[in-house]
Amino acid sequence: MTTVHADIDALKRLHEALVRYRYAQRGVAERAGDEIEATRASLADKASRWAARLEQDQADLDACRAGRAETADCSGLVWAVEQASERLERIHRWQQRVDEAAGEFGVTAGGFRDLLDNDLPRAESQLLAGIASLEAARRVQADVP
Amino acid sequence: MPTRPDRDGEERVRVLGAAWEEAAGYWQDEVARHFETDHWTPLAERSRAYLEALRALLDLLETANRDTEF
Repeated sequence: MTTVHADIDALKRLHEALVRYRYAQRGVAERAGDEIEATRASLADKASRWAARLEQDQADLDACRAGRAETADCSGLVWAVEQASERLERIHRWQQRVDEAAGEFGVTAGGFRDLLDNDLPRAESQLLAGIASLEAARRVQADVP
Repeated sequence: MPTRPDRDGEERVRVLGAAWEEAAGYWQDEVARHFETDHWTPLAERSRAYLEALRALLDLLETANRDTEF
């Protein structure tokens, strides 16, 4: 009896696997969205911190140049302003790249989400119908004297 | 440390693929062929494309975070 129904059991396991897959990949998609938002938030935080740092360094440099004799050494502050400016620019470039990449990924992710929400349930239904059909055929065979 | 979502997704594909291989070993009628053409092949291809795009995106996010740690 086990051998006779091995095909039906395998199809039932496939159906269960499809259902689990649908839910699991939804979870994967949600975590992917969380990763994107976490990175955006982190970059925004860094940009804010380095913008404040640049503003402070620039104010310090301006004060150095304004309040001292021509021989005063403001080179350390010049270097600090350049460094803060470069780092802030780098963060802005990464923000732009992340936004572009997230936008492109969103197209692929949207199509996959559509597959999970619409196509996959249809596949599961078709599989269930096939299983029911096989089970009905087996019952008929079993009833034949 | 939690697993990256793309790696979880790939593991799910592997598990589902094993279930399909087992079922396909028994299920070889016309309905099976239609199921493979209409559902299984598109599912496998789009899953692969999605997970490749996800892997590339997560690599980029990791690089972005690393490259802005001052």
